[in-house]
Amino acid sequence: MTRSPGKAARLNRLFNPKDGRAVCVAADHGWMSDVTPNVMELRRILELVVRGGADGILISFGTAVRHGHLLRGKDSPAMLIRADWMNMPRLGASNVSNVLPVVNFKKMATSRARDALLMGASAITIYYFIGYSDEFEALNIEQAADFAKECRKVGLPLIIEPMAVGGMVTGVNIAEILIASGRIAAEIGADALKIPYTGDVKTFKELVDKAGVPVLVLGGAKSDVPRDALELVDEALRAGAAGTVFGRNVTKAKDPQKMVADICALVHGGKTIAEILGERRAVGQRLKPVPAQCVGCLLCEVACVRAHSPGYSQTRARLRIESPQLGDELRAFKPVVCTLCGQCVEACQPGALTIGPEARLVLNKSLCTQCGACVDACPFHLIFTEEGYPVLCDLCEGDPECVKWCKRGAIVLTEWKRRARYVHAE
Amino acid sequence: MEIDIGKTIRISDFVCATDGRALVVDTTLPGSLGATSGLEHVAEALRQITDIADGVIVNPGQAEHHADLLGGRRRASPLVRVDWSNAQRGPDFCLPASQFKHLFISDAEDVLALGASAAVASLFLGFDDDAEAKNIEALSHLARECYRLGLPLVIDVRPVGYKVGPGNFAESIKLGVSFMQELGADVLIIPECDLATCATIGGWIAVPVLLRLAEIPDAGRAEEFLKTGLRGFVLGEDIFARQGYTGRLAELADHLHGRSGDDALAG
Repeated sequence: MTRSPGKAARLNRLFNPKDGRAVCVAADHGWMSDVTPNVMELRRILELVVRGGADGILISFGTAVRHGHLLRGKDSPAMLIRADWMNMPRLGASNVSNVLPVVNFKKMATSRARDALLMGASAITIYYFIGYSDEFEALNIEQAADFAKECRKVGLPLIIEPMAVGGMVTGVNIAEILIASGRIAAEIGADALKIPYTGDVKTFKELVDKAGVPVLVLGGAKSDVPRDALELVDEALRAGAAGTVFGRNVTKAKDPQKMVADICALVHGGKTIAEILGERRAVGQRLKPVPAQCVGCLLCEVACVRAHSPGYSQTRARLRIESPQLGDELRAFKPVVCTLCGQCVEACQPGALTIGPEARLVLNKSLCTQCGACVDACPFHLIFTEEGYPVLCDLCEGDPECVKWCKRGAIVLTEWKRRARYVHAE
Repeated sequence: MEIDIGKTIRISDFVCATDGRALVVDTTLPGSLGATSGLEHVAEALRQITDIADGVIVNPGQAEHHADLLGGRRRASPLVRVDWSNAQRGPDFCLPASQFKHLFISDAEDVLALGASAAVASLFLGFDDDAEAKNIEALSHLARECYRLGLPLVIDVRPVGYKVGPGNFAESIKLGVSFMQELGADVLIIPECDLATCATIGGWIAVPVLLRLAEIPDAGRAEEFLKTGLRGFVLGEDIFARQGYTGRLAELADHLHGRSGDDALAG
């Protein structure tokens, strides 16, 4: 692949020349969305991200002016400047971050490539929204092309971030749209992509193969447990991704430095998630949602209820399907299932809840004090009570009905790794 | 016709200076549809054709990423597309277009810096009047810029709008080539049409006219078109999805330039 010397030099600053990979952190949320602690404590978080060993940090122009000095030094993260602005997080009334709602989707070019270059940036990042309307996509293409031209002229790499957003995007076509948009961005002139995960290794591999430029997977909304975020990274790497651009999963993490270091260990260090999290060998299987495949038919909920009790009341299902929300990067239905994260087991002080030898949640009613701690601890809010006792996913004794009934493969079984710290019984 | 030396040199990169003929392959559809069949890996596809074709139409991104595979002696010259449209997003695409969009993603100076031997842009006919007027305005500016820089301008005439049907298809092509000759295009591409239309255009238009085909024609069919005065062919992205397309492409190059098939394959 041929590139101008300027682009080549700057990409070498971003992608580790030893493995061609990069761990980047997006810290530009204050430029476009809600005022959350990660926005207000940006300086402290940036310092931690630098210490964590990130290869690049995506920031706004204003942040670059105020905090760019944190990126001094040869081994510091490369500066990536967000060169555009959009109002997607404020679109619609359903978004939790919607302090000041907007009706019309807007995206503006706000910095020139030359401005970013003079600021010391190693690349600029811009959005490419597809799926909202033909008019809006054309505007995005036009802006991307303008940036591509200027980047070619000044030798600055251009990272394009395709986002499938809008009424034309569904759980059925989102992977196909992302695959197409990645290639379109490369044809326009992207030197690398920052793009959402398609939901499974197969389609993401297709995206990476067809894009023809390095692909950095983005993390999207903060995962409920760090393991989920790391699993996304792991799957993306297996699909051929060149690294990550994680935002909220790092900046909203309890320990951003550790989160960056953990991602680096996965991306650059060749470590497994089990090694990073100090887990023991795999002993079973767990459910795994594949949102890209979900069409929201709710058959899984019905199957779950029928497997455990008479009737069809879906309020008693041990999983649920969440509808797409405006502002989600992946406008898809999302199966929410028990992933055997073990937080309920950790919260159960009397030890009534355990993960048994067959890798399933087991309740010992004689030990249960009906305190409800497990209900509160479940990050997915899947546990409810009947007659005071918790009702949990028991994987249908190893043959989950939801998996059997979902013909699209939106809920699948995957390897489960036992974590030593929450096992109460073998 | 008098053109400056820059254009003369660059046109000869893809229109043979000896026989005046050209074989060009278009790879730009993925810019609108994502990777199409056979063009999943651009470098691989370019390697297959660069020693056979005279020119390859590429989008600006690919022209930059794969500059090492194009141009230079005995290799296909890069002709860089400067526009983008959603006209080909039909009902089988994951996001079918409901409103026609056409815009410019590059300019003459940009593609010259990319090492292009020509800039390529489309004239869409048959959509609404505003779209047509804007298209002609933009192409006129591009033509002036190309003239200033000595860069050949290739115009791809595409009568694909809702106003065009079987009854006015051929006349629409003639209208398009007439406009574009007047505008200052250096090479024209027309869509596949009947031999009579080709003959009218071939005998009348002063600049080289290339015929866009979805399939690689055999020697007999190619000769029929060439006899009308057309100067060669532009083969669409569909050819990459066919088995053994390099052999057939080499045969066509051989026929076009009067070389043996082995010569064509050897460049």
